[in-house]
Amino acid sequence: MHQLSLTTVLLLLLCFYGFSFLMTLRIGKKEESADGYMTSNGAIGFGMSAASMTATWVWAASIYAAATSGFKYGVSGAIHYGFWGALMILFIYPFGRRFREVAPNAHTLAEIMHARHGRCSQMILAGSNVLGSVISLMVNFTAAGALVSMLSPLSFMQGVVIVAVGVLSYTLWSGFRASVLTDFAQLTAMILAVVIIVPFLFFTLGGTDIFVEGWHRLDAEQADFFSRQAWLEQGAPYFVAVLAYAIGNQTIAQRLFAVREDLIKPTFITATIGYGSIVIGMGMLGFLALLLGIVPVGGDLNNLVPGMAATYLPPVLICLFFILIIGSLSSTADSDLSALSSIVMADVYGKNLARGKPNPKVMVWIGRVTMVVATAMGVCFAYLRLDILSALVFVGALWGAIVFPVIISLYWDRVTNLAFTTAVLAAFFAFLLTRFSLVPLTGAIGLGAELIACVGAGVVIGLMGFGLLGKRAGLVLGAIAAVAALPTGLFGLREYPVLLSSLLAYGMSAIVCTGLSLRSNAKFDFDVIGERVTNYQTA
Amino acid sequence: MNTTILTAYVLIWPVLSALVLVALVYGVLKDVRSARRNGEHLV
Repeated sequence: MHQLSLTTVLLLLLCFYGFSFLMTLRIGKKEESADGYMTSNGAIGFGMSAASMTATWVWAASIYAAATSGFKYGVSGAIHYGFWGALMILFIYPFGRRFREVAPNAHTLAEIMHARHGRCSQMILAGSNVLGSVISLMVNFTAAGALVSMLSPLSFMQGVVIVAVGVLSYTLWSGFRASVLTDFAQLTAMILAVVIIVPFLFFTLGGTDIFVEGWHRLDAEQADFFSRQAWLEQGAPYFVAVLAYAIGNQTIAQRLFAVREDLIKPTFITATIGYGSIVIGMGMLGFLALLLGIVPVGGDLNNLVPGMAATYLPPVLICLFFILIIGSLSSTADSDLSALSSIVMADVYGKNLARGKPNPKVMVWIGRVTMVVATAMGVCFAYLRLDILSALVFVGALWGAIVFPVIISLYWDRVTNLAFTTAVLAAFFAFLLTRFSLVPLTGAIGLGAELIACVGAGVVIGLMGFGLLGKRAGLVLGAIAAVAALPTGLFGLREYPVLLSSLLAYGMSAIVCTGLSLRSNAKFDFDVIGERVTNYQTA
Repeated sequence: MNTTILTAYVLIWPVLSALVLVALVYGVLKDVRSARRNGEHLV
């Protein structure tokens, strides 16, 4: 296994972050506007927006996880990670158009919830967004430390600190605008790496002979493109989780509010294809590793791709691979910093602490301080090496509980703050009980949970149908999906607790939110949201 | 198992990635020209 020399790795990091910093100098203003710091001018063009959306969603963990999926589930494994992740981007665009329609000057989704329901709903959404972004930051810094320590003589923590300081250096002054500008350069480097490294490894490791000589290593499920095991263990839980990510993660909402309104559709479609091709492409390395009988270093599947790169790539391409991973994690980390700063600026200060009189200059400095604090927290959590998977599952479920209430609140005028809050809390409570086996999934409880989870399956498909095809199609597809899930789901879903608990969160939130809203006679005027959510610079 | 189809299945993703890159570069160049023409910032 090759290692890069200390000088090489330091030069690569210096060039990468130095170039990013120099780029941001071109757009830096002495007096940054508060709105620009959060969502630019709300009229970013197609190229920059699509590149930023793609770069933000391709993170180091997605590359490692896609390869892991390919390694574990064989021929369909990478698809069951990358395809559903890509679909998530497509899923949000119709709802994104609605968000922009009701609140053209919004900076965060929680801000819209504040205008729609009030402080409680806003803080639920903002709190979940903050938790998600801090965890994402920690994951990216952890991935950076692991990569640097594997490919160079530097230690894990040295890698974490260098990357954290590097990301902060170019994001701090101009915030979201710097994040978007650097995303394009980072994505270009990432795509070039995929375009070169995947075919290089394929042909170096044997080309078509890999299939002939390695096919016997696959079991029946791994050799089947329509593997039931791959779908139930990887595809379905991930499919459900990523739909929640689309609503729950502020980084995607932020780009939604930044792109020119008429370019939302082409931007999201391009980002869908871009994300899918990059992540599935890297996931194919896991499939090839399985065919070749490669064993990851130390048995840790996160070491699979870095190990293959270090073993089979020449030094020049190891450098390219290094930039690919550093680019992917930096573009996501700078987006997380921008997302966190926006939430604190708009939702904590703008809508609460400022008591109706936000000062734009103070807001920008609050955003910058937030970035510094968030970076320090990310480094500390990375040092503690917390259980990342549990944290992600926790946040994923929290987001699963808010998807239906958030979306329906912007289409149905009868949804109340009580319905929103109760639905989210009930769904989250139900998730905790089932995910961590706090109640036995047997008898009436098990059957009830499975029944609600089947409703949850209907909600997921129904929401997608509603967004892409309209209300009637959404209702019909949702009902069909819920009924179709019953034969497999009843007495069967309890064997798959991750999937069951995620679907339960969707089902419970939808049932409670709908039930309480039907009891209400309130009629909300959606035009009020646009009046309440305004630009801070002119407020 | 068809090795031709499997080879295409593995290599189609870098090709798609390259096409996306071309579209993005073209899009960004248009954004740059448009920003210059209107005297605005790119982002």
